[in-house]
Amino acid sequence: MNVKIKRQRSPFSEPYWETFAYTGSPDASVASVLDDLNYRDDITDIDGNPVPRISWECSCLQGMCGGCAMVINHKPALACETFLRDLGDELILEPLSKFMVISDLVVDRGVIQNNLLLTDSYIGQYKPSSPKEYEHQYAAAKCLKCGLCLEVCPNYTQGKSFFGAAFANDCYLVATRSGSFDTSIQKEYAEHFAKGCSKSLSCVDVCPMHIPTLASIAKMNRKA
Amino acid sequence: MKTILIIGSGIAGMSAAISLAEQGIHSVLVSPFPSERSQSVMAAGGINAALDHLDEGDSVESHIQDTLKGGCYIAGQTAVEGLCRTAPDTIRWLESLGTVFTLNKNGKIDQRAFGGQSHKRTCYAGSSTGKQIVSALVMECRRFEAKGLIERKTWYDFHSGLIRDGRCYGALLYNEAFRTLEPIYADAVIMATGGQNALFGKTTGSTQCDGYAAGRLFMQGAELKNLEFIQYHPTTLETSQKRMLISEAARGEGGRLYYLENGKRVYFMEDLYGPKGNLMPRDVVSRAMYETGKDIFLDVSFLGKDVIDSRLPEVRDLCKKYRGIDITKESIPVSPSVHFFMGGLAVDNQHETNIRNLFAIGECASIYHGANRLGGNSLLAAIHGGKTAASCIANRSEETAAEAPDFTDFIQAENQKLSDSMQSQSQFPVMYIRDLVAENMWDLLGIVRDEETLDRGIDELTYYISIAEKIHYDSSVLAYFNYSLVGILTLAKATLISAKERRESRGAHYRSDHPQTDEAFQYASVIRYDEGAYTVRLDKEGRYER
Repeated sequence: MNVKIKRQRSPFSEPYWETFAYTGSPDASVASVLDDLNYRDDITDIDGNPVPRISWECSCLQGMCGGCAMVINHKPALACETFLRDLGDELILEPLSKFMVISDLVVDRGVIQNNLLLTDSYIGQYKPSSPKEYEHQYAAAKCLKCGLCLEVCPNYTQGKSFFGAAFANDCYLVATRSGSFDTSIQKEYAEHFAKGCSKSLSCVDVCPMHIPTLASIAKMNRKA
Repeated sequence: MKTILIIGSGIAGMSAAISLAEQGIHSVLVSPFPSERSQSVMAAGGINAALDHLDEGDSVESHIQDTLKGGCYIAGQTAVEGLCRTAPDTIRWLESLGTVFTLNKNGKIDQRAFGGQSHKRTCYAGSSTGKQIVSALVMECRRFEAKGLIERKTWYDFHSGLIRDGRCYGALLYNEAFRTLEPIYADAVIMATGGQNALFGKTTGSTQCDGYAAGRLFMQGAELKNLEFIQYHPTTLETSQKRMLISEAARGEGGRLYYLENGKRVYFMEDLYGPKGNLMPRDVVSRAMYETGKDIFLDVSFLGKDVIDSRLPEVRDLCKKYRGIDITKESIPVSPSVHFFMGGLAVDNQHETNIRNLFAIGECASIYHGANRLGGNSLLAAIHGGKTAASCIANRSEETAAEAPDFTDFIQAENQKLSDSMQSQSQFPVMYIRDLVAENMWDLLGIVRDEETLDRGIDELTYYISIAEKIHYDSSVLAYFNYSLVGILTLAKATLISAKERRESRGAHYRSDHPQTDEAFQYASVIRYDEGAYTVRLDKEGRYER
């Protein structure tokens, strides 16, 4: 199988494409493919030319940390839980396009945390909520901040005014549990989410943790 | 105003930062990636506290006794008492920050059985306790970030301590984005860098935790403790990318281990230890599995789909996704694999190392767990350790950063070394040596060890260390992988030497040539490095945890 990777040596250099040959099992995940290519004695492209090793981010390798989010065959997904058997004859890997590239497939997703900080998205004074919210809160708190929902969103660009689904879920968590910021978070939600969301709901389909973002949106809209 | 440098932003690091901020103390929280990528999010099982919500007669005393017994009586009694007595408050604190614990039908936090414990004591949050705690702590950190009391720095790796004459004045960090070394001076440094997974290549844990920081600080004079105690978790599943953990919750809910003999199931743990045999401490189960010499399976299918869906969804999904196994119908093929390191930086009860103002917390510190950690005690120790170190620092009046000596020469020399390595045109992959060492460590430091094998390993590591500084590495990999190699190799050698010197069997350390537990060794082991010489002693005087 040919593996085509969009590469970039540093944040300040130009991207380029490189193709590699992979001959492993179809049951391998994309993460395993990257490991396999990187840890050969010599790394060469499909024509046998020596090339730099491929940078990509990983930590848990089992879908729990969100580190390896990237664009796989034109769809945003986690490399550690996307398997070759589910893809076509060619594997195409690109970094998430809505964040600054640090190196190859590694991007800086700091804007996600920065926006949450700018909008005071925290609980402060804890207000226990109704137990019927627990299941939803548990699901929302599983957000990996991986950025897949932002990559796929037609409304999200660089997080300058519209902050996307990751933000909406944290807003829900604050609104239902904070005794001090439950009102102010409504305003931030209205400004940085409700105003810009066209409800394509592509974020729901792509979420690796299957967070019920639509329910978070509905509850926040009802509170408004 | 004091500034405290915290290296590592998982649960331990965030707990320390929050605790310092609550006392008005500024901290810089450094990590290569955000907290969501830390190994803490992988802790699926739970967190122990004697809440006695289930009216089973649990008590703090029982928790203390179980922890000391599980650790084979070499953990510090006072330290363990502190850990267990504060545990119920720790749970309430986490709840007050919004951690979504699973509740029982009475609306109280539910608790389940974990290995080596006399009562159902493990509080949990569905199948992602670590992740739920991380999410709550990230939000609480954010509150103090907004006030300027916590300053996060991502894309930074630890390089070395700024240490002179037995005192720590800060750390030298490598900035991955700008590819430069930067010193940060601080009144105290707290290491929260996790366990030494890289010694074994891929373990059940994060690829980000590699032990380099402990290895480097060891070379700079910090003592290490109990390195020989490495926990093999009994139930891990082989997949194409790593061995994945099947949470102890699977056995806590009733899962049974067996092997097949003449087509019949042999429930060997129950045969050996009675009805609760599957939930013996992890070291006991792993060794029993090893001794069968058979393929072992874990069966949870008889629990039924409803119980599996509600109590073990993470195990269900993992087996399906990575191996196509339907655990409601099939057994899971399991075997022991490296999971946790009881050893690490030697710290006293306040979590301070032998270097003044250098602290260590979480898995990179050796405290509380003795020769074997009980499931559910690591999350607890991470939080308690963070709070304890923060409290010690807050009560200390000295401001070290103001008195920092001149480190210019040291920083220049390290910068030069780094710059030379980055200009290398060699294709030699540094990861190749790391992989070779990892392969050896699996063979040399398995569940059963002996002196001859350990000696062979020590010789091999001595050779690797001798060549490591002479090879030009592939500069296309992260600089961190290049400069971290010697620290990791040195830590590996120290681990093998510690295992050789403990000529007895205790907890997770089993020697086929010394199969008995020997009272003369009922102490922590401490190892010291001095210009290439390694010295091991038993901590008979109680220098560290008491």
